[in-house]
Amino acid sequence: MVIGLNHYLILAAALFLTGAAGVLARRNTLIMLMGVEVMLCSVNIVFAAHSRALGDMSGHVFVIMNFAIAAAEAAIGLAILVAIYRIKRSVNADELNSLKE
Amino acid sequence: MEAVLFYLFGALLLGGAIAAMTSRSAVAAAVWLIFAFVNAAGIYALLAAPVLAILQILIYAGAIMVLFLFVVMMLQGPTLKSELKSIGDRKWWLPVGAILVALLNWMRGVNLEGFVNDAPAGFGEIKGVAELLLNKYMITFEMISLVLLVAIIGAVALASNKKGMPW
Repeated sequence: MVIGLNHYLILAAALFLTGAAGVLARRNTLIMLMGVEVMLCSVNIVFAAHSRALGDMSGHVFVIMNFAIAAAEAAIGLAILVAIYRIKRSVNADELNSLKE
Repeated sequence: MEAVLFYLFGALLLGGAIAAMTSRSAVAAAVWLIFAFVNAAGIYALLAAPVLAILQILIYAGAIMVLFLFVVMMLQGPTLKSELKSIGDRKWWLPVGAILVALLNWMRGVNLEGFVNDAPAGFGEIKGVAELLLNKYMITFEMISLVLLVAIIGAVALASNKKGMPW
C-alpha cells in the first residue's frame, strides 16, 4: 500500500480535531493551551506533506517559522496564566469571568 | 515498510494527543504530549525532512513542553473538580465536533495523488533549508526574530510583576 498525501492530510485533520476538541471541551486553561499546541503541530504536518508532494522545500522554512510562533505563543500564554493565577488563585476557565459581571 | 512506519507513528501520535486531551491531571497531559510530539518527529522523518524531525524534538518535545511542565507544576493544585461536570454541561461543542467530523469525512473522498516520484536529491537536508531561510525568506526570518523578542519582553513583563498584571 502506497502512503500518499491523502494519508498525511487525514492524519493532520484528525490531529487538528483532537486539539480543537481539547480547547473546546476542557476547562483547565493549561490543557486548553496544550490543545493549541496540538493544532499548531497538525498544521506543521500539512506543510511538510505538501512540501514533500511538490518537491519544494519552502514548506520546511514555514514549519520552522511555525516552531518559533509556537514557542512565542507558549511563553506568552503561560506568562498570562501565571499572572492570572496570582490574582484569581485558579486556572479554571469557568472562574475567569470577571469581565462578565 | 513506509506504510508500517506511517501507521505506527500516526497511531502513536494520535493516541498520545487524545490521551493528553482527555487526561485528568495536567502533568499527565504534558507527558502524553511529549510522547505525541516525539512520534510527530517520526512522521517528519518519513516525509524526508530530517531537519524538521530534529527541530521537533529539540523545540517541541524539549523546550516548549518543559516550559509547560514547569508552569503546570507551579500552578496546578488538585484536579479541577468542576471539569468533568462542565464537559457534560457544554452541549454546544457537540455540533461543532459533528461539523468537523463531516469535514474529515468529505476530505476522505478528495483524491489527491500520492508522492509519485522520489524526493529530489538533497531534499530536506539542512543545506537546502538554510539557503532558503537566508536568501529567499530572509525578511520572514528577520521578522520571526522580532516576534521572539516581543514574546520575551511580554513574558517577562507579565510574569515578573509580583502584584499581578503590569497595568
